Amino acid sequence: MKLRMPRFAIRAAFFGLLFPLSLAAQTVTLSGTATDDKGKPIANAAVSLKPAAGSPIEVRADADGNYNFPNLAPGDYTLSAAGDGLRSKPISVTVTTAPHQTVDLLLTPDQAEKPAEQIPNAPSPAPPAKAPPSPSLEDLGFSSQQTQGNPKLQAMLQKRTRMLRIHQKLGLITLIPMAATLITGPQAKVKGRHGEAIKVPTDANLDFHAALGGLTTAMYFTTAYYAVFAPRVPGTSKHGGIRWHEALAFIHGPGMVLTPVLGAMAYNQENSGEKPHGIAAEHGTVAYVTAIAYGASIIAVSWPIHWKFWEKK
Amino acid sequence: MSRGGFLIALFITPAIAWAQADTQWLLDQSTLSYHMSHPMHQVDGVSHAAKGKGACHAGICSFLIAAPLKSFDSGDTNRDLHMLEATRGAQFPMVVVRTSFPESETAAATLDADLTVEFAGQTAHYAHVQFQRSGQGSEVHISGTIPATCSDFKIDRPSFLTVPIKNEIPVKVDMSWHKM
Repeated sequence: MKLRMPRFAIRAAFFGLLFPLSLAAQTVTLSGTATDDKGKPIANAAVSLKPAAGSPIEVRADADGNYNFPNLAPGDYTLSAAGDGLRSKPISVTVTTAPHQTVDLLLTPDQAEKPAEQIPNAPSPAPPAKAPPSPSLEDLGFSSQQTQGNPKLQAMLQKRTRMLRIHQKLGLITLIPMAATLITGPQAKVKGRHGEAIKVPTDANLDFHAALGGLTTAMYFTTAYYAVFAPRVPGTSKHGGIRWHEALAFIHGPGMVLTPVLGAMAYNQENSGEKPHGIAAEHGTVAYVTAIAYGASIIAVSWPIHWKFWEKK
Repeated sequence: MSRGGFLIALFITPAIAWAQADTQWLLDQSTLSYHMSHPMHQVDGVSHAAKGKGACHAGICSFLIAAPLKSFDSGDTNRDLHMLEATRGAQFPMVVVRTSFPESETAAATLDADLTVEFAGQTAHYAHVQFQRSGQGSEVHISGTIPATCSDFKIDRPSFLTVPIKNEIPVKVDMSWHKM
């Protein structure tokens, strides 16, 4: 005789195996602290969590008022607590896929628990009015894609912020050697030992200037690395000061490549006893344009946007 | 119950519960704006993308208002992305406000509401927040300010040039509702 298992039993066994696995993959911990209105923890408070469908789960808060609901499935719940003659208002909580969520509970004196004065043969009081069910996010028309968390995107945003913080700090520090390079340029007037003006730069001046330029270039490109390789967040269109900041990089970026190249050409010409000429003579001009564009790009993202000098008060 | 019947019951039961309300309110238009203060910057991030509904039954009204965090625009993409990062906005993409109050208050000039705000993975309660109500009949305009702070939601205050922003991030609310 052939033994046949009913089809629904196979399906039930299949879903019975898979469903708990899928839930286990998305379990969430909800925790928080139960306190009174003065911030005092309510030790041993009974904290109840009721899912939209199903029986409520109850846990006890510890001596510091901390409670913890581990292994929750994402969904809508109602959270409440009672203890020490105090009671919290029921709170609607949407548990998302984020691994940890915190909801602190405020417990206030529980009027309902006080025994009412009994009058013989008095009509029984009307039951207290019950608030209608609170609408859900789905009722508002938000899709689950909009309301569900995205831990990968959060990690990307954190990495982006970390890299841009380094970019910001290094960018500001780079201003120091950049300014020093400009000041020590061959155009700077140098005083000799006897106070006379030296128009032709000495080898020491040039070497110092070249070293500062090298340091500036290295720091500049390290700064640029942290902006260029910071993660791009998909679906964001850029607007505001950041657009100017990035547009100006198309001036100071090539400028920071060209300036040291022209500087090296001018340096070689000086060492050969020639006055810088040809394209090398533009080293100083290119350096100044680059520095101005660099400074402007910093101002573009740090200008106090509430100071609008172009608007009449 | 057949499988089809079970599925129908599963999906329409919440809809029936919602439909049992005596009166329903729908949010038509809204402007929510948070204010961030720093010695060098005063920033307002504005969203018009909030959605809201209210239901009144047996003299009690429950309201829910929610807005996607990424809909707040401060005038600079970089700052908005930093705000999303600081407020854990990718993990908790919505700011959700819930409140319940007696139905009689919907006709008062000043609405005194206890708010529960879910934001950045935390829930904060604000008691007796005053909102100004104007308008007549089924069209109502509500405005007020929620006195939110960074510490209410355990947000590490972002800093600029090593100076952190102020802890206070009041949220101005300006909403037009209509009774359905």
